[in-house]
Amino acid sequence: MASVSIRNVRKSYGPVEIIKGVSIDIQDGEFVILVGPSGCGKSTLLRMIAGLEEISGGTVAIDDRVVNDMPPKDRDIAMVFQNYALYPHMTIADNMSFALRLKNTAKSEITAKVERAAGILGLGPLLDRFPRQLSGGQRQRVAMGRAIVRDPKVFLFDEPLSNLDAKLRVQMRTEIKEMHQRLKTTTVYVTHDQIEAMTMADKIVVMHDGIIEQIGAPLDLYDHPANMFVAGFIGSPAMNFIPGSIGGDGFTTEDGSRLPLGGRVPAASDGRPAVYGVRPEHFRLADEGLAAEVVVVEPTGSETQMVLRPLGTKAGREDRKRELTWVLRERTGARPGEVVRIAPDPALAHLFNPDTGLRL
Amino acid sequence: MSILTSSDRVAGAASVGRTKRLRPSYWPFVVPALVVVVGVIVFPWVFTLWMSAMEWRIGEEQRFVGLQNYVRLATDVRFLEAMGHTLVYTALSVVAPLVLGTAAALAFNTKLPARGLLRGIFVMPMMATPVAIALVWTMMFHPQLGVLNYLLSLVGIGPLQWVYHPSTVILSLVLVETWQWTPLVMLIVLGGLASLPTEPYESAQIDGATAWQRFRYLTLPMIKPFLMVAVIIRSIDALKSFDILYTITQGGPGTASETINLYLYSVAFTYYDIGYGSAIAVVFFVLIILLSLVLLHLRQRSAWNSGDGK
Repeated sequence: MASVSIRNVRKSYGPVEIIKGVSIDIQDGEFVILVGPSGCGKSTLLRMIAGLEEISGGTVAIDDRVVNDMPPKDRDIAMVFQNYALYPHMTIADNMSFALRLKNTAKSEITAKVERAAGILGLGPLLDRFPRQLSGGQRQRVAMGRAIVRDPKVFLFDEPLSNLDAKLRVQMRTEIKEMHQRLKTTTVYVTHDQIEAMTMADKIVVMHDGIIEQIGAPLDLYDHPANMFVAGFIGSPAMNFIPGSIGGDGFTTEDGSRLPLGGRVPAASDGRPAVYGVRPEHFRLADEGLAAEVVVVEPTGSETQMVLRPLGTKAGREDRKRELTWVLRERTGARPGEVVRIAPDPALAHLFNPDTGLRL
Repeated sequence: MSILTSSDRVAGAASVGRTKRLRPSYWPFVVPALVVVVGVIVFPWVFTLWMSAMEWRIGEEQRFVGLQNYVRLATDVRFLEAMGHTLVYTALSVVAPLVLGTAAALAFNTKLPARGLLRGIFVMPMMATPVAIALVWTMMFHPQLGVLNYLLSLVGIGPLQWVYHPSTVILSLVLVETWQWTPLVMLIVLGGLASLPTEPYESAQIDGATAWQRFRYLTLPMIKPFLMVAVIIRSIDALKSFDILYTITQGGPGTASETINLYLYSVAFTYYDIGYGSAIAVVFFVLIILLSLVLLHLRQRSAWNSGDGK
């Protein structure tokens, strides 16, 4: 087990900078998830920790030892890839023991370690099979087994669940989390799925365009997003953003509706333009507040999701981003075309600077 | 190659036949193919078998002699020697192109500058006519006037007798065969290399495999099915090789490079002993079938990417 320290790391391909100076401290035994949209540099960062990509600037240290110029095999890490990267011509047992055999580990020790890993992951009956005879979930478990057998300082996961179907993904999520609780190995995990990040991580690193937007515990990010990107990325369905301005003791939307601020008016901000952020589940039916037309009602059984179009906006493509999402726990008889009035819970609302995106 | 897979096809056709009976009205469509197969493949073979049981010299009476031709073969020193030459020539003509072709494929699989152009040049020998190649090499092999001995003299070796001496003639012929057919192996293996997944290599890097270990434990086993294809094609080609041998040495000096094919040719078309020649052809055919079966069996065992891998 080990800590990982990433200091001002940069990566460029020719003139294009993919990662623009990133610093993360990962404690011993921590489960850290790098999350962000495609192309934000999260996988590249993971591959730099692994040693599969060269580091253009800054340092990566594992257990306080800078590993920038160390080949992957000397870093004492194990990696699980999105497409499993199993050795197709080897049995499951051979796949799992390959690293140990390369190190000339004693046969008895190899058998013991493979059996232990197979026991943890329930792979016992599959040891003599070949990867192509296994289902996606089983293959992913073998890939994890291969990592466990190594008993490394750090586990690296590169979108390990992306190739699995939705149901299996939920199951494997639990298994990975359980495995981490059992082995307590420092883990860095990359995903684009914010639900995976929220459910599994001790600490989430939100990345976007090669920079870190925010680092924090899952619920911290949810409750106190540092900027509009994090606010919009974390949480599903995404947070509603309503443009307008701060005035008096409240917020005035562009079409003149008043939204409450609950007395949390930032100083010297009268008339200042701002974006009002409210999560879909923080609206309630009200007598005053925003008047909006119901566009779509999507019942899921446990909750109902509604897409609303504020009155005064047109149905065109341009106004699509003005639409609001409302999630309510109870069922509703609302029909498309009806007009409802909803008000946000001021204590749970957020205000952002429309130019910088930063939280006010 | 059609011989090799015919059993699979027959099995496949039989299982279809059980479930879907062919109606009589479909049969006319099969007739043209049937006529061609019977006329070109089945009839010549049956006729060869029949001829091999006859004493049949051109211009003389034909006489049924049963297995006598085969008994004669077993004690024919020239035939047994030809068999030895054939096996040595085939083994070397498979192994040398296989090793060199694999090495070339590995080289062409890297990011070489001007890779396409070099690959094109490399493949050219394969496209040339064997007789033309044979004539060029005959000139190069010439002990006094040939370019090979000239080149060797520059580094102080030689002169060698090449195809003019019994001890070097087979090696020299293998050199020509290797020169012409290494590109084929290269193309087959290159295709195999291109089809390999890249992720296991990254994972092996993390697992601690050196470049040599990655080749030994990943690349080699994974391209084994392709190597086996190359071995099968090369074995059959080398076994029945005729044009290059006939053009360069006609089996000489003496009979030092006479293969079964060349011996068969002189028995049948120089001595006009058709019956005995047919017996040689039958033995040769059985030899090729046996070798093909062995190779096919090995190939199926080497295929990690198909079947259920028992």
